[in-house]
Amino acid sequence: MRELAERGYLWCIALAFVAFVLVTIGLDYAVLVTAPWVLLALAGIAAVLLIVEARGVALAANRFKWYAIGWVVAAVVAMGLWALAQKDVQAAWPALKSFRKMWNVFEPFALFAAALFVLIAIGILAIGTLDKGMHQPGRLERTFAVNMSAKVAAVPMAFTAIGVFVISTGWTIYHSFTNSKLLPKSQFIGLDQYERLWSTNRWLVSIENLAIYGICMLIFSLVIGFVLAALMDQKIRFESVFRTIFLYPFALSFIVTGLVWQWLLTPEFGVQKIVRDLGFENFTFDPLFNADWVIYGILFAALWQGTGFVMVLMLAGLRGIDQEIWKAARVDGIPMWKTYIFIVIPMMRPVFVTALVIIAAGIIKVYDLVVAQTSGGPGIASEVPAKYVYDLMFGGQNLGQGFAASTMMLVSVLVVLIPWAYLEFGGRKRG
Amino acid sequence: MSVSIRHLDLNFGPVEVLKDLNIEIHEGEFLVLLGASGCGKSTLLNCIAGLLEVSDGQIFISGKNVTWEEPSKRGIGMVFQSYALYPQMTVRGNLEFGLKNAKVPKEERDRRVARAAEILQIEPLLARKPAALSGGQRQRVAIGRALVRDVDVFLFDEPLSNLDAKLRADLRVELKKLHHALDNTMIYVTHDQVEAMTLADRIAIMKDGLIQQLGSPNEIYNAPVNKYVADFIGSPSMNFLEGVVEGTAFRTGDTVIDLSTYGFTAEASGPAWIGIRPEHVLTGGFSDVSGLTAEVTVSIVEPMGADTLVWTQLAGTDFRFLVDGQMEVKEGDRMQIGIDASRASLFDKSSENRI
Ligand SMILES: Nc1ncnc2c1ncn2[C@@H]1O[C@H](COP(=O)(O)OP(=O)(O)O)[C@@H](O)[C@H]1O
Ligand SMILES: [Mg+2]
Repeated sequence: MRELAERGYLWCIALAFVAFVLVTIGLDYAVLVTAPWVLLALAGIAAVLLIVEARGVALAANRFKWYAIGWVVAAVVAMGLWALAQKDVQAAWPALKSFRKMWNVFEPFALFAAALFVLIAIGILAIGTLDKGMHQPGRLERTFAVNMSAKVAAVPMAFTAIGVFVISTGWTIYHSFTNSKLLPKSQFIGLDQYERLWSTNRWLVSIENLAIYGICMLIFSLVIGFVLAALMDQKIRFESVFRTIFLYPFALSFIVTGLVWQWLLTPEFGVQKIVRDLGFENFTFDPLFNADWVIYGILFAALWQGTGFVMVLMLAGLRGIDQEIWKAARVDGIPMWKTYIFIVIPMMRPVFVTALVIIAAGIIKVYDLVVAQTSGGPGIASEVPAKYVYDLMFGGQNLGQGFAASTMMLVSVLVVLIPWAYLEFGGRKRG
Repeated sequence: MSVSIRHLDLNFGPVEVLKDLNIEIHEGEFLVLLGASGCGKSTLLNCIAGLLEVSDGQIFISGKNVTWEEPSKRGIGMVFQSYALYPQMTVRGNLEFGLKNAKVPKEERDRRVARAAEILQIEPLLARKPAALSGGQRQRVAIGRALVRDVDVFLFDEPLSNLDAKLRADLRVELKKLHHALDNTMIYVTHDQVEAMTLADRIAIMKDGLIQQLGSPNEIYNAPVNKYVADFIGSPSMNFLEGVVEGTAFRTGDTVIDLSTYGFTAEASGPAWIGIRPEHVLTGGFSDVSGLTAEVTVSIVEPMGADTLVWTQLAGTDFRFLVDGQMEVKEGDRMQIGIDASRASLFDKSSENRI
């Protein structure tokens, strides 16, 4: 009986509300017009039943108390709005008249809302006083009302995440199907931008460069970083000095790195000149001026800058390995290199994943290094996708083309990331 | 096989951790290295295993000088406190890895793994990874890894310290059974005196890199060579009263303990400590004890189930003794106690050595 009254009450209120909304948006069928009042009357009966059942109101320290009070406050506010629309009140307060239209819009709502809110408050009071039945928070209440402060605190984060990542990304993808030039427009041209993109030589060169750079960068920075860390882990002297030296390039910006290496690899000043001065007159070393080699020149600078950081990550991982594992392996007679490959590296999987993600992100967005070192030259031999996007969006004033290129970059990231995430998180259950 | 350690020194930079250490460990012996944390037990064990380079001295295993030999060539197996299993390999993989690396043929490998698994009752676990095992099971696997090496000397570094009390007691008994079954030499490091007393043929008590006493559990319990050992062994620990030895009497304040039944190791007189174990104090129904009888007032009672620890004052110092757990004692009671001088220990005041 009590259960029925509770459920009936809640359903009547909800349906009355729905019916009322339908009426206000214009569906003024006779059934719908009368329905809210009938339903509210039913809800009233249910509320009375609940109160009778509860025999008195004992609501102190009840989680429903504040909900009920809140609804009463809402009812008072609604009544206040209704009052503002009354001629007598407006006559007493001339300032209100200037907003008369607004008050008049509120008037019919306000009275109904006040009645509804009071009824909700009564019902909640009734439910709250029962010692059984609704004493467990339901799904809605758990979602929105339990542990409210934490949820409120999470709202900005949620908005940022949705706003920045989802909406901006969606906006970019959307406009990649338009012929936006200097300003974004909504004139759809289907896949034209993509067709143009994939028939542009510069983009194709960029992709090829990114592939070479990316694969080499991944392999070499992981291998070199790990080897350096492993050497560093041999309890060498002056470890902190070496660590600082290796990490130092990481503190430089890509622009500085790019300029330094541009200078070092320029024939007139850098390595070639030094070697020629030593007496090897025919020595030639000009990677930045050779279309086939230029990307490796950039790779070299990137490795110089990035491996120190990978090394530090790896070193932290190595330090996290229980020393007794090493001892056990030595007692078992496992040579050191085998211990690294078969025991230590598998144990460092999380560190490798972290390093991989950081390196991969660096690869996809490589831009400033190229700009500083070669500006994409000679010709277009060292172009990269990020530079293509930037140049078209802000230099070529061809937003649509830039958006299409960046969408392609996003797709390529997802192609890598989704299988990885699936393996990493989907496979967890198999453990 | 026998292990002998001669004049072993080990320094970490300027810090001398082991100082001129000598131990002869007999074939088939279970030797426990016991000492407070940081006294150098693990360091000594690692030296025996070859995991640390000694600064000076020699180590012989079965008569062969192995001081500069690789750990894997010394004929030892080792078990660690943190188990140190290879996490990404199955139990079988863990047991086999060393053997595979040493190119032991497949049939031989399978035979050894099967035998170890049977002895340690880990056959059902062979296909699992260490992460899916409980602490006790992991430690069995770690012992198994030492077992398959078919070695003569087993080294244990606090193997039971990471287990809870119940499991520790179970595995302790199993280790003892294992020792009986295999008859290998075992060197076992622990800071837990119960483990030491129950497992050991002989115990070496270490302090600050020096061996204080090396002897059977009984010797160490009944005749500790110095005050440190006396205090370290025994739970609850020994009572010490400060006083003066005068002929065959020990005088502390107004109290005089008759030492005529005490087995002096040296002619002695002068300031000294007398140590009396709480469980050696006589209460109720004794007669004619050579030593001391006194009436004391109970200040605190600590029931421990089987026994009850009673705190009183004797000659102005706190003094504890054990009574049967069934006996009714309450604070404020007067009790008659007796001290048997033949079971007490006397230590010189300044050197703290047994007299
Ligand atoms: N690698 C090391 N470098 C410097 N000091 C060490 C090192 N290992 C151990 N020590 C020191 O040697 C002493 C003995 O250590 P250890 O043998 O591990 O003690 P325990 O008896 O607890 O096993 C300790 O004081 C410790 O600080
Ligand atoms: Mg230790």
